[in-house]
Amino acid sequence: MRGSPARGALAAVAFFVAPLLGLVAAFASPEADRILPISGYTTEKGRALAKAHAPALSEMNAYIYHCVPWVETQKESIGFFKPKHVSVDDRYLAIRIFIEQDPSPAFAALDQNNRAAAMFSRYVGFLLRQMTKSPDILADPAVGGFITILEWRKQEGGSQGRPVHETIAVYVPKPLARDYLSGKATIDAVAQGARVMGWDGERALGQLNLPAWEDNFVTTFKLPNYKLDPAAKCS
Amino acid sequence: MRIKGLRLLLVGGVLVAATGCATGEEWQIWRSNGAHFASGDHMFFSVRNREGTKPTVTRKDITLARDQGWWGKPITVNQDQILER
Repeated sequence: MRGSPARGALAAVAFFVAPLLGLVAAFASPEADRILPISGYTTEKGRALAKAHAPALSEMNAYIYHCVPWVETQKESIGFFKPKHVSVDDRYLAIRIFIEQDPSPAFAALDQNNRAAAMFSRYVGFLLRQMTKSPDILADPAVGGFITILEWRKQEGGSQGRPVHETIAVYVPKPLARDYLSGKATIDAVAQGARVMGWDGERALGQLNLPAWEDNFVTTFKLPNYKLDPAAKCS
Repeated sequence: MRIKGLRLLLVGGVLVAATGCATGEEWQIWRSNGAHFASGDHMFFSVRNREGTKPTVTRKDITLARDQGWWGKPITVNQDQILER
């Protein structure tokens, strides 16, 4: 029995569209919930910054998602937040990432400060560059600085079957960030000039004094077998 | 039917991502990129497809693998101890 022309046309469309649907399913968009929604801000200053720089935040979210797939941006962690230690409503552009890596005896053998220094060296400079890709952010006088929060799984220990994360929060005032980005300051100068707080699980370690060095791992490492979304821009 | 097929595709990708182990070549790639510590292979480095096929992993595969939550809910600092909204 011969099919109708309409049925034949449908079959032809399905033939060409089905692979595309598979492609759409295989790739993915960065989750929008990584960015703090406007309704989540408690002050008008925060809301105004979020509205003014929404495209830049989305672009940063997409870049991290597609181009640095071994890190996970935490929910509602991208936005203009007030540092906890500041009393006035200073707004810093912030991001919090979880860095995924398998156990390594060499990394575990480092003491806590050196593990933090290694992570600082690898990710803080990179994130500062991503956060300031839009020149409008650096030029906006309402932006006081930048906060990068890095966390990774602590290899030894664990509690009641739950993994423990080590975390550092790095508060970089805008003048210091600008000096680093323009080449006037080294990443070690950023580490010395920024406020760096540490946590072991939920336990606060207080302010840390870390050494830092340039580490280009993030920009040079290619995840083996990783198929980049054709729409992603990683250059 | 098509949805079922897509689900099978995604689940298959996750299963593939959860098996296998890193080759010497992958270790070499990790070490040759300025690593200051040999942090091992990420869980999704170990993607192995069937013999004779080109192994691939997409960002969606990685998200799905993470969503399995096989490490459990971590003990970590709350965001509100670091910054305010």
